[in-house]
Amino acid sequence: MSRKRLSTGIKGLDQVLGGGFPENSMNMIMGSPGAGKSILTEQMVFANASKERPALYLTTFSEPLEKFILNSQSYTFFNPAQVGVEILYEDLGQPLREKGYAALPDLITEFVAEWHPRILVFDSFKALSELARTAEEGRLVLFDLATLLANYDCTAFLVGEYGPDTMTELPAFAIADSILSLQRHTLAGNDQRFLRVEKLRGSSFVPGLHAFSIGAGGIEVFPRLLTPSSFTSYSDDSGRRVTTGVQGLDPMIESGFWRGSTTLVAGPTGSGKSMLSLQFLYQGALAGEPGLYVGFQENPVQIARITKGFGWDTGKVEKEGLFELMYRSPVEMQLDEVAFRIFERVNEGKVKRLVIDALGDLKRRSLDTDRFADYIYSLTQWFALKQVTCLMTYELKELFEFHSITGEEISNMSDNVLLLRFTPEAEMARTLRVVKTRGSAHDHREHLLELSQKGVAVGKPWKGMRQSSS
Amino acid sequence: MDSSDASKSVRPVGHVLALVVERNPIVQRLERYFLEEAGYQVEFSNDGASALARAKELRPAILITEILVPKMDGLTLCRQLKSKPETAGILILVFSHLEAEDRAREAGADAFLRKPLNEEPLVETLSRLVARHQDILRGKK
Repeated sequence: MSRKRLSTGIKGLDQVLGGGFPENSMNMIMGSPGAGKSILTEQMVFANASKERPALYLTTFSEPLEKFILNSQSYTFFNPAQVGVEILYEDLGQPLREKGYAALPDLITEFVAEWHPRILVFDSFKALSELARTAEEGRLVLFDLATLLANYDCTAFLVGEYGPDTMTELPAFAIADSILSLQRHTLAGNDQRFLRVEKLRGSSFVPGLHAFSIGAGGIEVFPRLLTPSSFTSYSDDSGRRVTTGVQGLDPMIESGFWRGSTTLVAGPTGSGKSMLSLQFLYQGALAGEPGLYVGFQENPVQIARITKGFGWDTGKVEKEGLFELMYRSPVEMQLDEVAFRIFERVNEGKVKRLVIDALGDLKRRSLDTDRFADYIYSLTQWFALKQVTCLMTYELKELFEFHSITGEEISNMSDNVLLLRFTPEAEMARTLRVVKTRGSAHDHREHLLELSQKGVAVGKPWKGMRQSSS
Repeated sequence: MDSSDASKSVRPVGHVLALVVERNPIVQRLERYFLEEAGYQVEFSNDGASALARAKELRPAILITEILVPKMDGLTLCRQLKSKPETAGILILVFSHLEAEDRAREAGADAFLRKPLNEEPLVETLSRLVARHQDILRGKK
């Protein structure tokens, strides 16, 4: 029989936990000071507490109750109308100081008898358990408390400033039904927040590190992107082709991209990657296909300058819900947040065409290269499943000659690879070559990529210095 | 907040004795709180064998037993009580972590409730048993 779940009130965390914490369980929320443990726990409490499901929040010795409540009120989830009616805050520190740690189960029994809570929080449990005079006392008291909580219909949260090394040493971790660890990782001087389910008894969960952020509304969790469990195969149906929106490019790849395919557009700076990608979106929008541009370098004002230069009325298609710009600072964004935001829109039916500009920015925010490759692979599989046609740009350092397109086998994961470069002559003309197409024949020749006031277009084949000058 | 409203509305008339078979003193304490708050007189036994003796001695209106208790399990206790004329009238609530309602009914239990302890369904179930007990007493008169 599967156990009922207590939703955390945090959509992404519920996804990670398979619906929330099991009801009538004892759960550990661990992490270093400032990791976000209390914010997460209070957010859950405010999301769940009601007259039928009252919550008792017991503060101990990590922070005085008054200061605790003062800090909590800066978050929008804190609803003062619930306090004292559906949510009770009590100081457990003072009575324990008077009666000793051994009195903890009796004190909790009295609190339970008085308040009938269905959600019970100890914050911080670590500070509380440090009152035990001996390890034996600590273990016995914990056992009695766990017995009480297992027999009483209530979901308990033990919040503590525990490090990962304590998990094998402290009995509380063995007794807990679930352990949620909040962590911070520093990358290029910036902290990224992650959480991980260390243990969840009797239930599956999404393993690994999941990014989260803390804002005025509390915590938002972005589950780690996993490969979908089912796949969509491409068919030979020509109706499933998507026009590239770039004059001359469709005939080079039979008649356009396969719907749901991913195309890598690689080239040096200024070679036309962003222009070509934006044109793919804009022409799609004009044909009624909603598109999303995810950019990390050019902000919306800079993008507007480019599109205005081509005479494109992006404001109109934006108002019609057919074109959206999603800008994320390359300094602060998290990979999984980007994927989460994309699929929020995809699942709402707001995206059929997508541009990610550029992969290098995502790569720089990845904790390791293996994770980055897995992430891109999962993205491409999801796009195929959701039938979202995607262009991903990748900036190459060399202007004229390339030894490899990317270092992480991204080109292997892409269905198509378009290589943009400059010719080495003094004019430095832009060219485009289709390096690879999956499931299509393609024109292998290098073509000029012509830039006009209307946008970009593929021109005649480039035949090299001698031939082109003759 | 006053979640005892339900229990107040079904408060038993007079002193209704409930004998509770529960081995854990912490759980005993919590059950005492809720049952006394609901108006019951409460006695405890730590195991099934002593509960059988206490039931014969005290003749409670209600016996509440966990299945997982020492010396004599709650279902055997239930069968023993229901098989003797002097204790067959004691109304039995099997209150257990085990999902064993069918087994409890087969053993003669009058009601079954799954743990964990939630005071409202517990008090509601007991009030239904009390009403039945009082009907039985009125029938005898």
